[in-house]
Amino acid sequence: MPLEGVLVTLREERRDDQKLFAQLRNDLETQAWSRALPPTYTEEMHVKRFDAMEFSYDRTSARLPIVYNETGELAGYISYSDLEPRLSASIGLVVAKPFWGTRVALDAQEVLLRFLFSELGLRVVHLWTHSGNPRAVGLAEKSGFRITARLREAAYKNGKLLDTLAMSLTRDEYYARHPEVADALPDPVDLLRPDAAA
Amino acid sequence: MKSLEDCMGGRSFETERVALRALDLEDAASLQGYVNDEGILGRRYIPWSVADVAPLSRPQVVAILEEWSKEKSGFTLGVLAKASGRLIGHATCDWSWDPHSPSISVVIVPSQQRGGYGSEVLRLLVAHLFLDTPAHTITGWIASWNDPALAFAAAGGFAECGRIPRAGLRGGGYHDQVVVDLLRREWAARKGGCRAA
Repeated sequence: MPLEGVLVTLREERRDDQKLFAQLRNDLETQAWSRALPPTYTEEMHVKRFDAMEFSYDRTSARLPIVYNETGELAGYISYSDLEPRLSASIGLVVAKPFWGTRVALDAQEVLLRFLFSELGLRVVHLWTHSGNPRAVGLAEKSGFRITARLREAAYKNGKLLDTLAMSLTRDEYYARHPEVADALPDPVDLLRPDAAA
Repeated sequence: MKSLEDCMGGRSFETERVALRALDLEDAASLQGYVNDEGILGRRYIPWSVADVAPLSRPQVVAILEEWSKEKSGFTLGVLAKASGRLIGHATCDWSWDPHSPSISVVIVPSQQRGGYGSEVLRLLVAHLFLDTPAHTITGWIASWNDPALAFAAAGGFAECGRIPRAGLRGGGYHDQVVVDLLRREWAARKGGCRAA
């Protein structure tokens, strides 16, 4: 069953998605990090990567296409990686320019966060961006992320030295923002406190 | 005026007291001996896929050495105390994310800590990254409970640039990952009257 939001649905990756993914990879505005350049990725390369994916129950990353519910269009993708099971993961988001300024990205981010906290039971979710991407910082802040590290001049893009930014959202911060959802998973640290109920 | 290479003590991975050398499978016994030392559990700086606190067997240590031998975007070298000829730690430079901002780590066996070996190794590797690679900044990643390492990084000129929360659990509590960095121009300024030759 796909992950449903208000505006978007996150579903499994398909072969047909690879054309847009290659376009997003080649667009210097939607590609956050220059290390992935040059912008010469082809649909065939992406299809090859897609075909090479193997079945596993030990997944530590996933890429979920974002489908805009109203039209059924593919709007981009959201991903997580570096999964430490039941502890942490980092997310990434790429949305096609026609969907910038809509609430598609925020909705996709909220859907994935709900999955990571309420299904995977993570204690914290991180994301990495840079100081030249205020749009990404603002979007993350809308979901409660805060900047937790600023690596000075650690990125270079578009002719500029930029700070790499780590942003984090802890489990308690997430549930405090979502009182409509009860968190039934006890915090392992709370249970060890001297005043914890026996 | 001294050159930067003079300031760092030459271009080799060596000072009067320590030498950095390639690790070999023959080092497995020494490595197993000190990575299982209680004093460095949780701060071993070994590949991510290996448990950082559980005791490691000889085959696991051999696997670590094999993984290090395959590094293409960086290197891990053994730290040799020249006086004793013993392996007293290891040190890593890693630019797999971006050569613009590599990371660095130094591990010294607890019985040899506070003897200045780590500082000498750090100076060698920082100089290598800034003199011989395009690094603009160098980062270090340290668990927040590891006070000696935080002091070590600060003494080496690194500045704290943030704390990433809930990096792990230790002793019944969460700890952060402290990120430290050092810019090339800060390092150059610390070298006093040195100029590139």
